[in-house]
Amino acid sequence: MLTSRIRYVENARAEGVLVWHKQLWRMPGLRVTGLCLLLLLMSGCAATPQLAETTQQRLPERLLLDDIPFHGQRDYQCGPAALAMVLNAQGVDVSVDTLIPQVFLPSREGSVQPEMLATVRRHGRIPFVIEGNLDTLLTEIAAGQPVVVMQNLSLPAWPLWHYAVAIGFDLEASEMILHSGMEPQRVESFRRFDATWARSHRWALVTLPPGKLPETIGEDAAIEATTAWERLQGAKPSLPAWTALVERFPDSAMGHFALGNARHAVGDDAGAIHAFERAVANDPNLAAGWLNLGLVYQAQGENHQARQAMQRAADLPGRWQTQAEQALESLSQ
Amino acid sequence: MMKKICRFLSPLLIAALVLGSLPVVAASQPTPGATLISTEEALSAESGQTHRERIHTILAREDVQEQLVAQGVDPAEVEARVAALSDAEAAQMADQLEELPAGASVVGALFAVFVILLVTDILGLTNVFPFTR
Repeated sequence: MLTSRIRYVENARAEGVLVWHKQLWRMPGLRVTGLCLLLLLMSGCAATPQLAETTQQRLPERLLLDDIPFHGQRDYQCGPAALAMVLNAQGVDVSVDTLIPQVFLPSREGSVQPEMLATVRRHGRIPFVIEGNLDTLLTEIAAGQPVVVMQNLSLPAWPLWHYAVAIGFDLEASEMILHSGMEPQRVESFRRFDATWARSHRWALVTLPPGKLPETIGEDAAIEATTAWERLQGAKPSLPAWTALVERFPDSAMGHFALGNARHAVGDDAGAIHAFERAVANDPNLAAGWLNLGLVYQAQGENHQARQAMQRAADLPGRWQTQAEQALESLSQ
Repeated sequence: MMKKICRFLSPLLIAALVLGSLPVVAASQPTPGATLISTEEALSAESGQTHRERIHTILAREDVQEQLVAQGVDPAEVEARVAALSDAEAAQMADQLEELPAGASVVGALFAVFVILLVTDILGLTNVFPFTR
C-alpha cells in the first residue's frame, strides 16, 4: 500500500516534470533562449584578439588622442555624432545638427555606411575605408588618426548597430579607448571590442584632407577612395591627393593615369603627358593610358607622338581598342 | 481595371526610363580626339564591369533618390546626398538599402532577448547594457 502510494507519487512527479518540460519547450521565448545558449556553446567564446608581433613592437604601450572633440549622441544619431568628431578633429567646422539631415535615415533610425562616406566627401575630406583588423586600427591611431568604427553591440539576430570613434589603446591592459554614445573616452577590453566590431566585418573609416593617406591603406583602396572624391569635388582639389598617391605607390599605373587625367582637366597638358608616360611605363598593357597619352599629344599638335601612342592602344585587345582605332583614323584625316 | 492600366503603362514607363537614360550613357563614351577616358571609366573597365552593369549603376542613382525620400529624408537634401555617393555605393544602396546595417538601430525588447543579451554581455561578447562592464 505504502510502496504503491510512493510509486504513484513518483509517477505523478515524473509526469508532472515531463508536462512542465513540454510546456517550457512550448514557450517561444525560452525555446529561443535554449537554442541560442546552445549555439553560443557550439560557436565557442570570443578570445582576446592577438596583435602581430611587428605591430606590437612599433606601437607605444599606451596612447590616447586627447584632443579629439566629443559629441554625445542624441536619440539614435551616433552616425552624425561620430562624423562630427572626426571632421572637427580635422579642423572642419561642422556641427552634429548640420550633419543629421545629411546622413541620418529617419525611418531606419540610423545611418548606413555608404552615406557615412558620402557625407565625409561633402565636407571636403576623403573617406578611406581601411583594412579591418586590430593591427591596422591601432597603427592608424598611433599615427594620430581617430578612426570611426562600426560595431554590432548585440548579437547578429537582434543587431544593435553603432558607430564609435576609436581614439586610443592600452596594450598592457588590452583595452581600447573610444568616444562612444554618451560616453567620452569609454574603455572597452580588446576582447569585447573585437567581438562587437567583428560583426560589422571590422568596418573602419579614416578621414583625411586631399594630399594625405592613411598609414595602412592599400593601393586599390586609395585609388577607389580618391576617384569617388574627385567625382564629387572635381579635378583641381584632387591634384594633391593623386600626387600623394603616386608618391606612396610609385609603381601604380592607375595612380599615374588618374594624375594625368586630373592634370589635363586643369589644363596642365605637359604634366598630363608626363603622368601618362609614367602610367604606361609601369603597365605597358594599360590601353586607356596609351590612348589618353595619344589624345593629349594630339591636342598639343604633336601628331607623330600621338600616332605612336594611339597605335599602342589600338594594338591592345579590350574595351578601348575600337576607340583607339577611331582616334588613329581621325588623326590621319 | 487598375491592373489593366498598370499592364499598359508599365512597359511604356520602362521604355521611357531606359530611353531617358540613354543620353547619359552615350555621354560617358568619349568621342575620339576630344575627351579623354576618365579615371572612373578606366577603373570600371579594369574591374571587369560590363557595359550593362555600368548602365545599371547609372540608373541606380534615381532609384536611391526615391528610396531615400521613402525613408523620410527631406527631399531638398536627397539630391546632394545621392550626388556624394560613388557609383559602387549608389548601386549598393539601390540593391540592398533594406539589408544594410544602419548605425544605432534598436533591439527588439523581448524578455528572452534581454536575458540572452545580459548573459552574452557578462560573457563579454556583446555590449548592450552599460552596467555589465
